[in-house]
Amino acid sequence: MATYIGRRLVLLPIVAFGVTVLIFALLQFLAPEMRAAAFITNPNQLNALPAIIQKYGLDKPVHIQYVNWLREVFLRGNLGWSQTARQPVRQAIGSFFPATLELTMYSFIPIMIIGVWLGTAAAVHRDKAIDHVSRVFSISFRSLPSFVWGLLILMILYGRLNWFPPGRLSLEQDLFVRSGQFHFYTHVMTIDALLNGELWIFLDAVRHLAGPVLTLTMISIALLVRITRSSMLEVLRQDYVRTARAKGLDEPVVINVHARKNALIPVITLSSLTFVGLLGGVVITETIFNFPGIGRWGAFAANQLDIPGVTGFAMFVAALTVLGNLAADILYAYFDPRVRLQ
Amino acid sequence: MNWTRSALALLVLTLALTLVGTGIAQGQATRNPDTLVLVRFGDPETLDPAYSYDTASSEIILWHVYETLIFFNGGSTGQFVPMLATQVPSVRNGGISMDGKTYTFRLRSGVKFHDGSTMTVEDVKYSLLRFMFMDRDGGPSWILLSPILGVEGTRDDKGALDAALFNKANQAIKTSGDTISITLESPYAPFLSIMAQWSMVVNRKWAIAQDDWNGTPLGVAKLNNPAKPEDTKLFSQGNGTGPFKLAQWDRQGRQAILERNTTYWRAPAKLARVVYRVVEDFGPRRLMIQQGDADIVSVNRTEQSQVEGVQGVRVIDDLPQLVMTGIYMNLKIDTSGGNPDVGSGRLDGNGVPADFFADVNVRRGVAYAFDYNTTIRDCNRGKAIVGRGAIPAGMFGYNPNQRWFTTDRARAEAAFREARGGQVWANGFKFSVAFNSGNTTRQCTAQVLKSNLEALNPKFKVDVRGVTWAQYLSLYRQSKLPMWIIGWAADYPDADNFVTPFQHSKGTYGSAQGYTNAEVDKLIVDARNETDAAKRRAIYFKLSEIAFNDITTIYLQPVGFQVMRSWVRGWYNNPAFFGPYVYPMSKS
Amino acid sequence: MGLLSAAVRGVQVNRTRLLPLAGIVAACFAAALVLPATRDRVLRYPLAIAEFILLALFVIAFWTIPSDFTRRMRRNPLSVAGFSIIVLFVAIAALAPILAPPPATSRDAYLIPQEGFSSDPKPPQVRHPFGTTEGQYDIYYGIIWGTRTAFRVSITVIAISVVIGLFLGGISGYYGGRLDEIIMRLTDVFLAFPGLVLAVVVVAVLGRSLDNVMIAIAIVNWPVYARLLRGDILGIRSRDFVEAARALGGNDFRIIFRHIIPNAIYPFLVFGSLDVGLIVLTAAALSFLGLGAEVGYADWGMLINLSRNWILGAPGNPFAYWYVVIFPGAAIFLFVLGWNLLGDAFRDILDPRLRGSS
Repeated sequence: MATYIGRRLVLLPIVAFGVTVLIFALLQFLAPEMRAAAFITNPNQLNALPAIIQKYGLDKPVHIQYVNWLREVFLRGNLGWSQTARQPVRQAIGSFFPATLELTMYSFIPIMIIGVWLGTAAAVHRDKAIDHVSRVFSISFRSLPSFVWGLLILMILYGRLNWFPPGRLSLEQDLFVRSGQFHFYTHVMTIDALLNGELWIFLDAVRHLAGPVLTLTMISIALLVRITRSSMLEVLRQDYVRTARAKGLDEPVVINVHARKNALIPVITLSSLTFVGLLGGVVITETIFNFPGIGRWGAFAANQLDIPGVTGFAMFVAALTVLGNLAADILYAYFDPRVRLQ
Repeated sequence: MNWTRSALALLVLTLALTLVGTGIAQGQATRNPDTLVLVRFGDPETLDPAYSYDTASSEIILWHVYETLIFFNGGSTGQFVPMLATQVPSVRNGGISMDGKTYTFRLRSGVKFHDGSTMTVEDVKYSLLRFMFMDRDGGPSWILLSPILGVEGTRDDKGALDAALFNKANQAIKTSGDTISITLESPYAPFLSIMAQWSMVVNRKWAIAQDDWNGTPLGVAKLNNPAKPEDTKLFSQGNGTGPFKLAQWDRQGRQAILERNTTYWRAPAKLARVVYRVVEDFGPRRLMIQQGDADIVSVNRTEQSQVEGVQGVRVIDDLPQLVMTGIYMNLKIDTSGGNPDVGSGRLDGNGVPADFFADVNVRRGVAYAFDYNTTIRDCNRGKAIVGRGAIPAGMFGYNPNQRWFTTDRARAEAAFREARGGQVWANGFKFSVAFNSGNTTRQCTAQVLKSNLEALNPKFKVDVRGVTWAQYLSLYRQSKLPMWIIGWAADYPDADNFVTPFQHSKGTYGSAQGYTNAEVDKLIVDARNETDAAKRRAIYFKLSEIAFNDITTIYLQPVGFQVMRSWVRGWYNNPAFFGPYVYPMSKS
Repeated sequence: MGLLSAAVRGVQVNRTRLLPLAGIVAACFAAALVLPATRDRVLRYPLAIAEFILLALFVIAFWTIPSDFTRRMRRNPLSVAGFSIIVLFVAIAALAPILAPPPATSRDAYLIPQEGFSSDPKPPQVRHPFGTTEGQYDIYYGIIWGTRTAFRVSITVIAISVVIGLFLGGISGYYGGRLDEIIMRLTDVFLAFPGLVLAVVVVAVLGRSLDNVMIAIAIVNWPVYARLLRGDILGIRSRDFVEAARALGGNDFRIIFRHIIPNAIYPFLVFGSLDVGLIVLTAAALSFLGLGAEVGYADWGMLINLSRNWILGAPGNPFAYWYVVIFPGAAIFLFVLGWNLLGDAFRDILDPRLRGSS
């Protein structure tokens, strides 16, 4: 097991740097003028393009630019300047990620709870009404574009009802948080609010989280329902469940004690993958709800050809993905006795 | 089953609590009465007055954090009032020398910076020099370098700093007692307009203490052309004389917060706080003003119908602005490298050659074919006027009687039949009109032009192509685009700042279009150095006549509008502003 | 050829059941030819009609092939629903010129006709049954022709992904060793990116166009296919017939293409068909971010992008512009739903663990 984990950990830097090579390879397709134009905010400055190309060495061959970039990263730990975040890449990741973490954390809870509950119910009452309803719902959610969901939610819950505004905090709360009276422990707003004992900040943060969390939940839940259902179905056919039933145990005991515990193994494995999958889902959701997280920044940086920004973003997410997959493997090994024995 | 149930219950409870606690009971009473919230679609690039050259940055710092020597009088762009100086220099009061080259400003006494120290003429000199010698690539420094030193930049073609330049500048700007005098290279008519916008005064001692430029010639090399915006110490902090202090620029939350300066040299501002927030998507931005969470928001003309008639929201329309949109025809298209916008690259009905627009008949044909009324009605909601040359209506040098093109199919057809000895009409052509994707007004304009040209002759084919911003800028700079649409916003309110980019052979657009006319280049320089208003006006009239004869660009002048909550008071418009001037504003 | 003969046989076997269906189709055509309003359209596009009839025959044949697979498909209401939805879209795509004839002056049928240029959308009316969207593009026309675009995008993306996947996955699975290691790490790199962000980078670099959207999604997609094929090959490689071919001295290329790929390709194609929904959603998301088809091109994502500023409605009336988002949204939703329903049914039928229990 230890060697297996070690092997996966060795992969981490390989994959992260593979990602950077991929991005620099894509750069081959870009004219230097185009990349220089990414530095321009006012079209009146356009005649400065050649000077900008010279200044940042954008006309040098890509492999030389890559080596220079690597040198900066290794010798000085400098990931470069993100033109879109208006700050250094490393700082940008640090400042955007807690918001995304908060968002995925809160989406994760309903996804797991509702997903497992619906999946179990569907398997237990196979081919009954609840099975069909849960399938139809989960397939429907999966089939609607996430931005349509997001905008519908924004339209009704903010535009119509004024319940859940976009952004991360309302103005009054935001000004208080930034006034110096509020201490940031984790930069996860809800947790910090509770640690500071400011309930009104906590409630306001929850209010802003509701819309994006609802959207993320809807688009991500289908997979979990599906996996739980099929895993549960398989377990229900196992001998020990039949035995339990034959012994005359109550059906709820059979389901909850014997069947679900075992059916949850692949679900637990899947949970860390769900977490990783959510990282992809936040791109659109954060954009729609103006939620200042890493996904919105990544999409914006890519759109604006902010190369250091995209590279840093990609490396970071790639590392998280590798770690997430690793966590999935470890969890699986831990929970599944067949694997543990080996 | 139990733990899921209780978790679900907890979830529902929290949401319910949230709603009861904060949400529902919000009427339309003035929200946050002493805080003004402006919601925009783009981040400022920097808050350093010598680095910033974008509207989003200038809107925040100019006249709020930093102030200028003189200021615009009300809504006028040509009349000035004193700000940090005690009077506006003129020949009559001796502030401008007889030869029109030396401008003298007497400084207001007792003005304090945000840190409590008193402003002196040395601060002004430091600020002007710092502005000139930061000179980052693509920055605003040329605006002062050009009149004072007669150069466009501080570096040669290879990027080496011209060492003699600093001494020259040091000589040109002289201080004595409480006066500062600036001697120009040659008379420069727009100089007062420039001083009203680009003479922002920073606190010298404080800046030096922040390890910014130390004020000596030796420090210039370090100051000059910083590699990234953060390299300047005034990137995210400020210390000026303005009515607001820069409290915080929160780049993660994408907002800049200004707070009232209680020791301001005039009466303190009525608003305690000003917040500039960024929300890219129009939908949420609109909802924010509708719900009263924002006081002023950016809205595009095409989205205007969605903010009309909202209770508590005011749309103020018909605001003159110093913006000119052009439809540019490229006289020397770079057709190399499989350029997708010129089709076959030949006049065979499936493309256009490099010199397609070099024939004035083709350009006239386009100018006559274009349906101005439809464009203004459908793309600008009726809020634009046809430009009669590069100089916008209402500005000194504009000629309302200049003859210009109107939509005329017969003349358009005649011009196209004449072009290239009839080949254009016989063979037809194909090219694309480009715009930056997302800009719906330009997209609409391109589509109108497409339909007009294609209606003339079935062999005329025009594609409309939306291109992302960075790609767009680089493509037209490389002269790859046969025809494109973009607007020019004034750097300072003067006709010179319009004829130069549009008509000069080295101007931003003139050079991208491959347009050269030696007479035009000379007239532009003459007008710049002419101090006699009547003679100057005559030169600009002549330039507009040439613009008509040469017709390289079709001009459209859009009219601006503002969207704000009706509880906002004290707002007024000046076309030279980059954003609302917040000092006199309040909420009720 | 085999498929076609099977189709013909299918028709013969189920003649009795097919008669009413064929009758309905024939009656529809007769009606279309008799009614003067539609006659011109039908006569102007004989090719579209021929395409439609051919596709209809093919679909009927597939549905009636007597096999365990189709029997199970027919018994599951969800798969029947999915299948019907997709058949409906195939019919719309084939009959596009008849359902929404392009204007006579049009150079390219995929360019949606505009009536005026004003930005405010107009509600459904006789001339524009689904209304017009921003820029006065006819939504109905865009949806009908957008069906073709949706099929083209998904088929092209799957084709590119399959080709790259076949090539790299084949090499990886067959040769194994260091080559396998390198290719698998390559797929790791591609899979470590959130797909949408990589696609955004690719389109931003190559420039905005529908072709580049297809390339971008294929770049994001191929590793899944490569891994799938590799896994299958690892299973097949050690089977007897491959060992035999190798023992007989067949060269690698021949073995891969004659023995391995034909045996591994079936789950591959099934997986591809399951992927259609995701591809269409990703393309729409790219369009939403402003990186999709050219404005005015018949593409559902483009229509959604045009609706972006209107989706939240007018003040006081959040549903004022419902039609700009509901129609294109419904088109994407139904299309993706059809494939997802079908995909789930496929998976249930093919999943051996769940076999025999229903």
